[in-house]
Amino acid sequence: MRRTRLSRIGLTASVRDIGLVVLIPVVFALLPRVYNNRLLLFNVMVFFTLSQGINIIYGFTGYLPFGYMGLFGAGAYGAALSVLFLHAPAPVAVLLGGLTALVLSLILSPLLRLSGAYFAVATLAASEIVYSIISNPDLTPITRGPYGINLSVIFNPTASYLTMALITGLAMAAVIYLKRSHLGLSLKAVRDDSLSAEMAGINVGRQRMLALAGSALFAGLTGAAFAWQISVFYPDSVFDPSISIFAIVFCLFGGAGTVLGPIFGVAALYGVYNLIGITEPQYFQLIYGVLIMVLILFLPEGIASLARRAGRNVL
Amino acid sequence: MSNMFQGHRFLGVLITAAAVFLFAYGAAAAAADPAEITVGTLYASQGAFAVSSMPQYQGLQFWADQVNRNGGALVKAYGKKIPIKIVAYNDNSTTATASTLYNQLITQNNVNILVSDFGSVLTSVAVPIAKNNKMLLFDPTGTGASFFTADNPYLVLTSLPSSGIWPTSLAGFLLEQKVARIAVVYAANDFDQSQAETLRSKLGEGGVTPISYQAVATDTRDYGVILRNISAQNPDAVVEFGYAPNDIAFLQGIQNGGYHFNMVFCVFPGQQFSIIDKAVGDAGLDQTYTYPTPPLYGFNKVNYGMGMNDFVKAFEAAQKVTNVNFLNIAGYNAGLVIQKALETSASLKQEDLRAAVESFSGQLNTLDGAFRIDPATGAQVGELLPVAQFQTEGGALKPVIVYPADLATGKAMYPAR
Amino acid sequence: MLEFSLLAGILFGLFFGLVGLGLNLVFGVMRIVNLAHGNFMMLGAFGAFWAWQLLGWNPLVTVPVQGVAFVLAGIALYYLLVPRLVGLKDFDMISLVLFFGLSQVIEALGVIAFGNDPHSISRPVFGRHPLHFLGQTFPAAWAVSAMVSLFLIVLVYLYLYRTRAGYATRAVMASRQEAAASGVNVDLVSAVAFGIGLFLASVAGMLSLFMLGSVSANFGGGIIITAFAVVVLGGLGDPVGTVLGGLIYGIGLMVMESYLSSWANVLPYVLLVATLLLRPSGILGKEVRHV
Repeated sequence: MRRTRLSRIGLTASVRDIGLVVLIPVVFALLPRVYNNRLLLFNVMVFFTLSQGINIIYGFTGYLPFGYMGLFGAGAYGAALSVLFLHAPAPVAVLLGGLTALVLSLILSPLLRLSGAYFAVATLAASEIVYSIISNPDLTPITRGPYGINLSVIFNPTASYLTMALITGLAMAAVIYLKRSHLGLSLKAVRDDSLSAEMAGINVGRQRMLALAGSALFAGLTGAAFAWQISVFYPDSVFDPSISIFAIVFCLFGGAGTVLGPIFGVAALYGVYNLIGITEPQYFQLIYGVLIMVLILFLPEGIASLARRAGRNVL
Repeated sequence: MSNMFQGHRFLGVLITAAAVFLFAYGAAAAAADPAEITVGTLYASQGAFAVSSMPQYQGLQFWADQVNRNGGALVKAYGKKIPIKIVAYNDNSTTATASTLYNQLITQNNVNILVSDFGSVLTSVAVPIAKNNKMLLFDPTGTGASFFTADNPYLVLTSLPSSGIWPTSLAGFLLEQKVARIAVVYAANDFDQSQAETLRSKLGEGGVTPISYQAVATDTRDYGVILRNISAQNPDAVVEFGYAPNDIAFLQGIQNGGYHFNMVFCVFPGQQFSIIDKAVGDAGLDQTYTYPTPPLYGFNKVNYGMGMNDFVKAFEAAQKVTNVNFLNIAGYNAGLVIQKALETSASLKQEDLRAAVESFSGQLNTLDGAFRIDPATGAQVGELLPVAQFQTEGGALKPVIVYPADLATGKAMYPAR
Repeated sequence: MLEFSLLAGILFGLFFGLVGLGLNLVFGVMRIVNLAHGNFMMLGAFGAFWAWQLLGWNPLVTVPVQGVAFVLAGIALYYLLVPRLVGLKDFDMISLVLFFGLSQVIEALGVIAFGNDPHSISRPVFGRHPLHFLGQTFPAAWAVSAMVSLFLIVLVYLYLYRTRAGYATRAVMASRQEAAASGVNVDLVSAVAFGIGLFLASVAGMLSLFMLGSVSANFGGGIIITAFAVVVLGGLGDPVGTVLGGLIYGIGLMVMESYLSSWANVLPYVLLVATLLLRPSGILGKEVRHV
C-alpha cells in the first residue's frame, strides 16, 4: 500500500482509496450518456450514499437508526423551506438541508446513551414526530402540510444530478477516512467494548455523537439533493420507512464496517428491486425480510466477510 | 511509413462514409411511418387510489380496443390508420414510484402519448417530468388547481373540470336553500382542499361562514371522533370532501353513530355509486347529496365517440360487468381526446398535439359533456358538475339532479327526514 | 366532552395495556424486543375477520381457538430462532434486527395474501345496545374490548403470581443464569412466555378491529411504536407498568382527539421519545442499563 502525503493528517490512504473517491462520482456523472434513465441512476446514487451513511453509524458504532428517513426528510424539507422562504440558490439550499439534518441528529444524540434497541426504535419515533409536524394541515403556511412541495423555481435535473454525484464521492471519502484514521479505530474500539474504551481514555459519548452527526449530514445532503432533483414531492415520499429499510438492508448485506460492502449491497439488491420490486413491492419486502433473517443468523458481517474469508482484502 | 499513413487515411474515409450512410438511413427510418402509436400510462392496483385508478385504466383500454377494432386511429400526420398500443406500469398509489415510472415511460419506452394516472396526487408528480421532457400530458382526472399555470403548455385536463370550479353548484344550492349552519370536513390533499377553499369563499360571497371547517388526514378511515365533535355543534348541513374510501368511512360513521343531519354531501357517490352503495347500503346513501357525473346522467347527443347509452351497453358487454362508473368514462373520454388530437394534428410532435387540442376545444361534445380547455393553462372549463340527491322512489334509490335549475330533474328533499 | 374523553380514555387504556402486555412479557423474559409484535396482532385480526366473514363466528369465539394456535406457533418460533442467539455478544442488536426481518416477512406475506385494503367487521357483533355509563354513551364494542383486555390482564397476573410456571417465569425475568442454576428449564419457560406473548398480541389484534376502525395487512408497522411507547412509559419488564402506561396513553389520546385532533396521532411518538430522553426506566421500571 503506497502511502501518500495524507499520512500527515492521521490517515494512510492508498491510491486505490483515492481512486474510489474520484472514480465513482465520475462514472455516475458520465453514465447518463449511455443510459438515459437519469432518475434511476439518481436513485442508485441516493441509496449508495444512504447505505454509506448507515455504514458510518452502524459499522463503526453498532447503533442502528431505524428512523434514518427522518434525517433524509429533514434534509429535503430544510432545503425546500430555505428555497421557498429564504430564496436560497439551490446549492446553498442543499447545504442548508444537510445542516438541518445535522441539527436534528444533535437533538437526538442523548439517545446514544441508551442501548441499541432503544436507540433504534426511538429514532423511528423521532422520525414520525418530524413527519407528523411537517405534514400537519395546521402548519400548511409554513411547511405546505400534506399538500406537498413544489420547487419548480430551482428545477434543474442536470445540476442536481451532478451535485448528487459529488455528495456520493464525499460519502465514499468519509467512510474511507473513518476506516483509515484514528477516529475510526477509536469508534471500533467503542463498538467492541465500550467499557474498556472508556477506561483507555476515549470519550465514548463524543465519538458516538460524531458518527451520528456524520451519518446525519449525508442523509440530509442526500435528501436535499433529492428534493432538488424531483422538485414535486409529498411528505410521505421523503419520510418513507422503506428509505431507511433499504439503506440498512443494503449495508448489512454488503457488509457494515467495510468500504466496498455497501456498494456491493446497493448494486446487487437495488438491481433486484428495479427488476421485480418497483411495482410489486411486497415481493421485494419478502425477499429482504428473509435476507435479513438469514444474514443476521448466519452471516452477520455481510457478503464482504465471505470475500475476506476467501482471503481477498476487501478494505 | 507513408504507406501506412495512406492506409489510415483510406480507412478514415471509409469509416466516415459508413457513418454518413448510417446516419442518413437512420434519419430516413425515423421519418418512416410508425407501426403503432404507443400510449403510456400508469395505474394503481393497490393503495388508496386503486378503487378509482383501475376503472379509469379500464376505460382507456376499452377505448384502445374499440379503435383498434376499426383498424386503428386515423393519424393525420401520416394520412392513415395506425393501431394503438398501451404501455402501462403499476405505481401502487405511491408518488415516488409514479415519478420513476413516468420517467421510464418517457425516456425508456419513448411513448408517443403520455396519460397520467387517476387523480391529483398521482398526476402532480407527472407534471414537472412531462414539462421537463417537453411531453404533452393528457390528464384525465387530476384536477388540482395548482397544476394549471400559464407557463406550462404541456398539460391538458380531459375529463373533469379543475377542482377550483366544482363546488360552484354546491355553493349555489346551499345559498339557494338558505342553509345556515354548515360544517365542512375535508381530506388534506390538493383535490379536496381546493374544493373546500372554493366552497368557503363562494359561501362567503353569499354572506355565509361555515360553523366548522377542518382538515383530516387523507388516510383517515375512522370518522367517529370527527362526527362526534361536528354533531355537538348542531349543523344543518355536513359537507365531506374526500376520496371514495373517505366517503365510505364517513357514511359508515354516520350510520354507526346514529347521527342525523339535515343534509350530508360527499363527493364520490356520484362517481362510484356501486362501490359505495355496496359498502354502506341504500340506507346509508338515502337522501345524501353528491356531484352526479355520467353515467348518472348522460349525454347522448354527441359529435364524437359513443354516446352514454351506447357506451354503457358496449362497455358492460366487453368487460362483463353491470356497473359502469364515471372513472370508466373518464378514461374512455381521455382516449377520445387523444384520438381527436391524432386526427387533427400536423405531426406527432408534442407541441403540435397541444395546438390540435386547442383547435377543437369548445367544439367537441362527448358522453362526458362539452370539452373546452382554457388555452392559457390547459385546465378543463367545460363538463360542469351539478348537484344531485339520492332519493328512494318505488323502493329503488336513484339520483335526482336538484341544482342548477336548467339541469334539474326533481326537487330536493331538504331538510332530510 | 372532558368526561367522555376521560372515560373513553380508560376503556382505550385497558385496550392499549393489552397491546403492550405481550411485548413486555417477551422482553421481560427473553430481553428481546419483538418488532414483529404488531404483525402478529395483524394476523390475529385477520384470523378473526375471516372467521367472521366465512364461518360467521363471533370474534370472541376465535380467542381461544387462535389462542392455542398462537401459543404453539410462539413455542415453535422460539426454539427455531432464539437458543442460537443466547450468549452472543451483540444479542440486543442481533435479536432486534432478526425480529425486524421477521416483521417484514410477515407483513409481506400478509400483503400478498390479503392485499392492502383495510378490513373491518361492519355488523355490530356485540349487540346494538350502547353502553350508558355516568351519563356518557359508548359503543358496545368499546366496553367489550375493555372487559376482554382487563380479563386477560388479570389472567396474566394470576399466571405470573399464582402458578408454578409463572413463578419460574418471574425467576427467569429476574436472572436467566440463576434460574438455570436453580434447575428451571429456561428455554421451555421462555418459549411458553413467547407463546403467551403472541397469544396476547392476537387478541389485541382482534380487538383492534373494533377499537381502531379497521386493520390492513401493513397494520403492524404503525401499532408497534404505540405498543413500544406504552411499554416504555410504564417501564420495561413490569406488567403493572404496562397497564399504567396504557391508561396514561389512552386518556391522553382521547383528550387530544377531542381538543387537538389534528395532533393526536403524534402522541405515542412524543411519549416514547420524551420518556427515553427524560426517564428511560419508565414510571415503574428499574434503572435501565446504560451502555
